Amino acid sequence: MLLNEVRYTRPETLEDAIGVLESNENARVLAGGQSLLNVMKHRIATPEVLVDIGSIPGLNQVKIEEDGTVSLGAMATYDGLHHSDELVETYPVLARVVGRLADQQVRNRGTIGGNLCYSDPTSNLPPLMVVLEATMVVTGPSGERRVAAEDFFWGAYEVDLRRGEMLTSISLPAPKENTGYGFAILRVSADGWGIVHASAAATFENGAVGDCRLALGCVAARPVRAEAMEAALRGEEPTEENIRRASAGLGGDLDPVSDAHASSDYRRRMAEVMARRAFLQAIEEARS
Amino acid sequence: MEKNGAHGELALPVELTVNGQPYSETAASRSLLVFFLRDQLGVKSVNFGCDTGNCGACTVLWNGKLIKSCMMLAVQASGSEITTAEGLAAPEEDLHPIQQAFAEHHGLQCGYCTPGMLLSVKYLLERNPNPTNEEIRRGIKGNICRCTGYENIVTAVRAVAAAEKKPSSQQPSSHDPSQASEKDPVSAAQRASLPEDEVTQ
Amino acid sequence: MTDTVAREETGAAQKWSGRNVPRKEDERLLRGQGSFVENIQYQHMGYVHFVRSPYAHAHIKGIDVSLAEQHPSVICTMAGDEIEELLQPFFQIAPEPGAEIRDYPLAVGKARFVGEPVVAVVAKTREAARDAADLVEVEYEPLEVVVDGQRALEDDAPVLHEDAGVNVTWQGVYDYGDIDSALERADHVVEIDELHFHRFTSTPIETNGAVVDYDAGSGVWTMHCNNQLPAVSLFWIASALGVPFSRVQLISKDIGGAFGNKINSYAYLTLLAALSRKARRPVKWTEWRSEQIASGNHSNERTFRDIKVPVMNDGTILGYQVRAIDDAGAFPRYEPLGGVIWAQVLPGCYRFENARVDFSQVVTNKAPVSPNRGYSRLQHLWMVERVVDIVASELGFDPVEVRKKNYVAEFPHETPNGCIYDSGDYHRCLDIALDLIDYRSWLGRRDEARAEGKLIGVGIGSTLDSGTNNFGQSRLVNPNMPFSGNNEAANVKIDLDGNIVVTLGSVPQGQSHATTAAQVVADVLGVAPDDVTVLIGSDMQRNVYSGFSGTIASQFAVTGLSAAIGAAERLRDDIRALAAAVLGGEEDEVVVADGVAMIGEDEDRSIPLAGLAGMIHFSTAEIPPGFENVSLNRTYVYRPPFEVPDLETKTGNLTLTYATQIHACVVEVDPETGAVQILDYAAVDDSGTLINPQIVEGQVHGATAHGIGAVLTEELHYDEDGQLVSMNFYDYEAATALDVPPLKTDSIESPSPFTPTGAKGMGEGGGAPLHAVCSAIQDALRQHGGGVVTDSHNPSERVYRLLHEPENSRAGIRVGNGHDRV
Repeated sequence: MLLNEVRYTRPETLEDAIGVLESNENARVLAGGQSLLNVMKHRIATPEVLVDIGSIPGLNQVKIEEDGTVSLGAMATYDGLHHSDELVETYPVLARVVGRLADQQVRNRGTIGGNLCYSDPTSNLPPLMVVLEATMVVTGPSGERRVAAEDFFWGAYEVDLRRGEMLTSISLPAPKENTGYGFAILRVSADGWGIVHASAAATFENGAVGDCRLALGCVAARPVRAEAMEAALRGEEPTEENIRRASAGLGGDLDPVSDAHASSDYRRRMAEVMARRAFLQAIEEARS
Repeated sequence: MEKNGAHGELALPVELTVNGQPYSETAASRSLLVFFLRDQLGVKSVNFGCDTGNCGACTVLWNGKLIKSCMMLAVQASGSEITTAEGLAAPEEDLHPIQQAFAEHHGLQCGYCTPGMLLSVKYLLERNPNPTNEEIRRGIKGNICRCTGYENIVTAVRAVAAAEKKPSSQQPSSHDPSQASEKDPVSAAQRASLPEDEVTQ
Repeated sequence: MTDTVAREETGAAQKWSGRNVPRKEDERLLRGQGSFVENIQYQHMGYVHFVRSPYAHAHIKGIDVSLAEQHPSVICTMAGDEIEELLQPFFQIAPEPGAEIRDYPLAVGKARFVGEPVVAVVAKTREAARDAADLVEVEYEPLEVVVDGQRALEDDAPVLHEDAGVNVTWQGVYDYGDIDSALERADHVVEIDELHFHRFTSTPIETNGAVVDYDAGSGVWTMHCNNQLPAVSLFWIASALGVPFSRVQLISKDIGGAFGNKINSYAYLTLLAALSRKARRPVKWTEWRSEQIASGNHSNERTFRDIKVPVMNDGTILGYQVRAIDDAGAFPRYEPLGGVIWAQVLPGCYRFENARVDFSQVVTNKAPVSPNRGYSRLQHLWMVERVVDIVASELGFDPVEVRKKNYVAEFPHETPNGCIYDSGDYHRCLDIALDLIDYRSWLGRRDEARAEGKLIGVGIGSTLDSGTNNFGQSRLVNPNMPFSGNNEAANVKIDLDGNIVVTLGSVPQGQSHATTAAQVVADVLGVAPDDVTVLIGSDMQRNVYSGFSGTIASQFAVTGLSAAIGAAERLRDDIRALAAAVLGGEEDEVVVADGVAMIGEDEDRSIPLAGLAGMIHFSTAEIPPGFENVSLNRTYVYRPPFEVPDLETKTGNLTLTYATQIHACVVEVDPETGAVQILDYAAVDDSGTLINPQIVEGQVHGATAHGIGAVLTEELHYDEDGQLVSMNFYDYEAATALDVPPLKTDSIESPSPFTPTGAKGMGEGGGAPLHAVCSAIQDALRQHGGGVVTDSHNPSERVYRLLHEPENSRAGIRVGNGHDRV
C-alpha cells in the first residue's frame, strides 16, 4: 500500500514532458493514476520519475474534426467521454462502455489514454479500439506518429511506444453509414471484472452483412480478431442460424488463461457467446 | 529542478484547502492523498480499507469531483479544494439532509464506510436529483459496505431525493427488477416507527 | 408459537424497548468523527511492517536483517528465534495430539502458509518500515504442500506440525437416535456423495490494527485495538507473555465491522507487545487489505461426504448420516471449536430424530480460519438444506410442503443432541417469505419463461441463528477446557453530577449497543434514552468486563442487554431504598421516573436523582443510617442458565436462543453463460422480542448481503502450490451495491422463554441466502438437464457446467429403496 520512493514532476508543456520521458528510461507517464498507482502500491511497478501530464493543455478534448473524424484527447476521462455530446453523437458504443467502467470515482479520473497505454488484457477498451479502427496519435521527440489500434497493443502491459513517446490523442474515423457497433461482456457477478468480452462493428448492406470486425478481450495478451467468424459473416444474411454457425469453433482458435475467475475452457466457450451477442448488437444498430 | 540529471522532486509543497480551511505543507512525492490528509493534516474521516482502490472508504470530493484519495498522490492535489464528510455540516451546524436521512433510515452501522458513502451520495444527487434504484446503486458502486447490505442506504437516498423532488422525465422501468421495491416493502422497522411528536434527537 | 413471557414490573411503563429509537452512534459517525484505532497516535510511535512468507510450506533456513537494520529509520526487528525465547506458544484448544502444536505469532523454524509473518520490522515511519522490510533476506527451502483437506488426512501427506505428528486437530463421531435402523426402515434412501462448502471471508472494511504501548515502569501493556473478544484474548496474550492478566489492557472504541474476523488478532497483539517492549516505544500496526485476506480469518471450508438420508413416502425425513472434513488452515487458533459449534443446529430447522456426523478437522497449508459470520453453523445448515432440497427434487416432493412437513412445529423443542430450540414459527415465516415474493406468480412466470428458453428458478433457504453460546461445548472437543456457560457484564451508575452513565463489557462493531443499552436502561429508570450516557467502546481500564466479554456469536441482545437491565434494576432498587429513607416512605411506594424518585405521585415528597447522587458522593454525613453498601453504582454480570454438557453422550443445551431466518429467492440463469441474476429476494426473520426493530432489520440486511456475496461472487481460491490467487479486492469480489438486490423483509416475534426480555441473539444470520440462492439455481437447473448444486459457491462457470454437463453432478446422487439396501 505504500509506494516506493519516487520523484514527481508536472510539466506544463508537451515538449517538457517528452523531454523528461526521453532522458530517463525509468520515467513513466502519470495520467489518471487509476491503474498505475495500484501497481505502485504493490511495488510491481517502481518507476523513478512520475511525469504527471494532467497540466498539459489540450489533451482532454473530444472534437469532431472538419473531415468528420473524431479526435479523443488521451487525457479525456471516462466520465468526460461518457457525457460528451460529440461522442454520444458519433460513437455511442464507446460512450456507453466507458460509462460502465469500474465506478464513479474511477471514471472521474481514469483516462482513455491511460487505459490504452496500460494494455491490460482484461481492459474493455483495446479490443473496442480495434473494431472502431482507431488510430493512436503518438507524440515523441521525433514528432507525431500514427499507429493503427491493431498494431498498437503488443502484449500484456506492452504497447508501441518508444522511449520519450506519449499517446496524445486517439483518432476515430468519420462515422460510416449503415454501420453499427456492439459490446458484450460476461462479468464476475453483477458488475465485476470481465471474464470475456467482445467488441463488434458491422455494416448492413442489401439485406446482408457487409463488412464486420470482431475483437475479443480477456482471451490473450492482446486483443484478438475473430477473423474466421468475420469471414463467415461477410455477405451472409444476419440470421440467428448464420451467426451461430459463424461463431462455432471460435473458441478453438483461442488459448486463454485459467485464473481465479474462470478456466481457459470456459473463456473459450464464452468468447463464442459474447462474439455473437456483440455482433447482434452491431447489426441491429446498423439496420436502424 | 534538476540534480545530477534527475528529473522531478522527492518532496514538494502542497497547498490546498480542506472543507474551506487552507493548508500549506510539504509532502513526499510518494505519499498518497489519503495518508497526507489523515497523517499530516489530521483529517479523521477519510478512512482506508483496501490496497487496490476498490473499497471507496477513502472517497473525497476533489474540486467537486468524486475521487478515491488513495488513487491520487498528495502532490497532485496541490492547488485543489478537498471536501470530506466533515464538510457536509460544520460541527455546530445541524446535520446535512443526507446525513439526517442516513440517521433516520439506519443507513450506517459501524460507520467506517460512511464518510465516503455520504460524499458519493451527495455527488450522485447533485447530478441526478431523481435517481432510479439502479442509478443509486451504480452511484455507490465504488463504496463497499459490509454492514448494511446497501438496502437502507438506498432508502435514505430515495428519501433525500423525494424531499427535494424536482420534476424528472425519467420514469422507472417496469421491467427493471431493481424497481421491485419501489413500493415500500412491509417491514417491521416501519411498523415500530415512532409517532412524530415523540422523536427524540 | 410460544406464549408471551410475562415480564417483571419495572416500576415505570415500558416505553423505549421495541421502538426505533434513533442511534446514539450516528451523530459522531456521520460527521466523520468516529474513533477508529487507526486514529490513535502517540509520540515517538514505531510503525510495524511484516515480512511474510511467499511459500505455503517451507523451512526457514536463514534470516538476514542486517541491511534492514542499517536503514536509518529502523528501530529494531524481530524474528521467530527471538519470539521463541520471549513467548510461550499460544494456548491450544485442541486435545492431544493437536495440543502439541506450537503456535507463535511469527513463523518459528518453518512457514506454513503464504502470508505467515516471518519477520517484524519496526521503524520511525510507516514508509521506512515498508522499505526496510524489502531489505530483509529470508532463505527458504520449499517443502511439499498440502492444500486439500482429504489429502491432509492421508498417512503420507506432508505434516505441518511435527510436534503434533499428524494433520488432524480433532476427530469425533456424533451419533444420536438410531440412524442405522432409520436407513433400514426408510422407504427411500437418498445418497449424496459430496457437498462442499467453500472458503470465503467477511472482510470488514476496517482491517485489524493496533497501537500497543508498553509502560516499562508498571510493566503494563495498553493495547488500543479492534479485537472483538478481549477477555478470552487475555488467555492467549497474557499466558504467551507469561504475565498476570492485569498487565494487559485492551481498549477499543469504534470498530469498522468485525464479523468474526477480529477474534484471532490476539496473535498480532502478543507480537506487538513484545515489539513495543523491545523498541521501548509504542508500536502501531496497520493491516493492509491483502494481508488481511491472505493471512487468515477465512471461513471454515467443509466437505461433506457419503451423505445418506432416510425418507418415508409421506415426505418425512428421518435424519441423515454424513462424514465431514473441515479444513482449518495452518493453525487452529479458535479451532477446533468449529468441530462442535455446528452441533447447536444439528437438525437445522427440522424434526429429524436420527443423525450421525463423523467429523474430522485438519490443518493444511492455507491461511488459518477464524469464525466468520455464521461460524460453523453456516456450513452445517447449508448442508442440511441441500439435503432437504435434493431429497425433494429427487423424490418429487414439493419443496414447500416437504419443509413444512419436517419443520419443527412445537416449542420449546429438544433436538436429538439435547439442544433446546426456544421458540419460533417456521411455517409462518415460510408463508410470509413466499408471500413477499408472490411465490405462485413466480412459479407461473417460471413456466412461461421456459417456453422462451429462459431459465427462472425459485428457491428457499431456512436457517437458524443460534445465539448465546454455552462455552461448555468446548469440552466436547477437549474435556480439559476450563470453560462453560457464558456471561456479560454491565455497570450502571448515577455519576457524581447525577447523570446516568453506563459501561458495557461488550465490543460493538456497528450493532448499536450504546443505543439499545440506553433503551433498556431508560425503561428501567423511567427516563428517555437521551438521558442515559453510554461510554463508547470496550475498555479494560474503564469498563467492567467478565470472562466472556466481547461481541461474537449473536448474543448481545441477550447477554449484554440483560447485564445492562440487571445493573439498572439493582441501581433502581438502591435508589428506591435510599429515596424511601430520605423521604420517609416505604420502598415499594417509590416511583423512579423522569430523573426523580417520588413517593407515589406526591411531588412534595420527591428528590431528584442528582440530589441522591449529591448526598452519596459529596454529603455523606446526610446519608441515613443503614446505607453503607449503597454507592449508586451497580455492576451486574448476566449468566445465562447453562449446565456443562454430557461429554459421554455429547448432549446438552449448547445455545440459549434460536433466531429464525427463512429466505425466498428468485433467480434467472442465462442458459448460454450460466450467469445468475437475482430477480426477487425476501428475508423473513424471527429474533424474538425486538428491542429496536430497525436495528435488527439492518443486521438482517447485512447478513443477507454477506450470504449473497459468498454464494455468487466471493471465493478464496488457492492453487496447488498453496498460493492464494484471490488476495485483494481486485480479485476477491466483495459484494457491491449492484451485487445485492433490493431486499424485501418482514419479521415475526416469538419471544424467547429463556431470556429476561424475550429477545433472541441475532446478527450473524444462519447463511440462509447461501441456500436460498443455491436452491433457486437448482430449481432453474431442473428445467435444463437436472444438474445438482453441490457447492456453496456458484459463479457463472460452475452453473454453466451444471447446465451443460449435468451428468457429472448427477453421478454423485443416488436414490435407493431403503428396504432393498444391502
